Amino acid sequence: MPIPLIEIHDLHKHYGHFHAVDGLDLHVSQGDVYGFLGPNGAGKSTTIRMMLSLVRPTSGTIKIFGLDLTSHRNDILRRIGAIVERPDFYNYLTARRNLELVGRLSGADVSTKSIDHVLGIVGLASRASSKVKTFSHGMKQRLGIAQALLHSPDLIVLDEPTTGLDPQGMVDIRDLILELAADHKKTVFLSSHILPEVELTATRMVIINRGKAVVEGAVQDLLNAGRLKVTIETSEVPRALELIRATPLASHIQSSTDGAIIMMMEREEIAGLVAHLADARIPLSAVSPVRSLEEYFISLTQDVS
Amino acid sequence: MIGTAYRVELSKVFSKWRTFIGFIALGVLIPVVVAAMGIEGGQYLGFATQALKQTFDFTGNLMNGYTVSYIIFGSLYVHVPFLVTLVAGEILAGEATAGTYRLLLTRPLSRATMVSAKFLATLTYTNLLVIFMALMSLGLGIALLGTGEVVVIRSQITIIAENDLWWRFVLAYGFAAMAMTTVASVAFLFSSLVENAIGPIMTTMAIIIVMTIISAIDIPIFDYLRPLFFTNHMNGWKFLFDDPVNWTKVSISAGVLLAHIAGCYTATQIIMRRKDILT
Repeated sequence: MPIPLIEIHDLHKHYGHFHAVDGLDLHVSQGDVYGFLGPNGAGKSTTIRMMLSLVRPTSGTIKIFGLDLTSHRNDILRRIGAIVERPDFYNYLTARRNLELVGRLSGADVSTKSIDHVLGIVGLASRASSKVKTFSHGMKQRLGIAQALLHSPDLIVLDEPTTGLDPQGMVDIRDLILELAADHKKTVFLSSHILPEVELTATRMVIINRGKAVVEGAVQDLLNAGRLKVTIETSEVPRALELIRATPLASHIQSSTDGAIIMMMEREEIAGLVAHLADARIPLSAVSPVRSLEEYFISLTQDVS
Repeated sequence: MIGTAYRVELSKVFSKWRTFIGFIALGVLIPVVVAAMGIEGGQYLGFATQALKQTFDFTGNLMNGYTVSYIIFGSLYVHVPFLVTLVAGEILAGEATAGTYRLLLTRPLSRATMVSAKFLATLTYTNLLVIFMALMSLGLGIALLGTGEVVVIRSQITIIAENDLWWRFVLAYGFAAMAMTTVASVAFLFSSLVENAIGPIMTTMAIIIVMTIISAIDIPIFDYLRPLFFTNHMNGWKFLFDDPVNWTKVSISAGVLLAHIAGCYTATQIIMRRKDILT
């Protein structure tokens, strides 16, 4: 039985008539890498700000580590490391000094060794004595991750952690998230608009739109649900198209090129289609079913819109 | 936890260049004024006592370190509030501008503690500025011009003996610290309302100017407001150079200033408690 770590119930945040978060329910278990997905303006950052008590909810409850956030704010925040949107620091201080100050306020015994350790993890050890005002956005992002890890929190909340990073930096952060969950048994709450990032790292996820959860579940279950994008590669595209159009699957055709037909279909329909084409002696070089989170994300958020 | 938060805030305040503007300004200005007073102070004092000299004889070292300090105290009092607001107006709004509220308020630290730590850091800066001003003007004045009596010319002429001056200066600088803390508290309050440090600095100075102007206009309707303005009580230190000291007036002025400090601090706490951090 998974141990609940974050329990959000009927959360609302209203700014006048605008409902940034509108009855959101979430359940994150210990050890999850939990993907928090949604288009811009869906209410992701507002939700994270409420989880970190930066913003007061209009109504609803937030429990983290089994404790109510309103009455146990400090006990909860002591066990959370977070990046919220942009990683901003005191630009007139060095990276090390920033971490020292943040560490002291975190209530943990943060030593020089632990600061060096987290700076090493994010690849900033050589710039520890540089003032943050000389840092690029990507370096600030890495420093943001360092401060989130500094006091060895049980829950790590990352809001768009790879924004501004180069491809290698993105891979490094992705690997770090996986390592934190697998080797250090941390729970990671990962908000991102980069869908492959969530697809590659998260174990569970929720997609929200207009302040509401649209779907929640294990990433693999969600990937396997619904229709697949199937690419059928053949040297005889026109004849294959003619055959398919004569079947009930005609409406599933999405597009075609010189060498391939792309269709959206149920997993169970694939075998029948392949057999039908093979019977007609259509040479098939490949049939590739892909369940992309991106497709799913777009279909869900468009449906709601 | 407030001790840690206070030390962190102090560390931040004294890592910024703007914090030292006030010290540099006073460090340059006071020696210049003391030197000028040493060179031409006799003329200045002669002009101030011109009418009195027809009736009285003045003997002794009247242009001494105490007199210079008294004059500097009276004149710089107008400018020091601006130096105070440079730090006080920025201490909360600066976090909003830099986006570091998110860094600060996601720590296991209540907002009330954070506000108190910042307020204490502001008070520390303000009081250090006043102490610096006192040490510079008294120390440099006495070192260059020696000691002597102070002639205080207000509604009546008071000549205060040398051995009767120290405690008055100590109390006067204490009063000045309270007055500057009031200015800092007002800037601190405005700093909690906005996301740019320029706003609190300008607004606080505008309030001081408007209140000073209203206080100077002799219209009966303002008589009800005037006693409530903190600007009207900031120069309450002057009563400490009356003989005998008018303790009632000193106490009333001190009370009004303290009420402003408490009011601004409480209002800031309430605002910060309710504030959504959106920057």
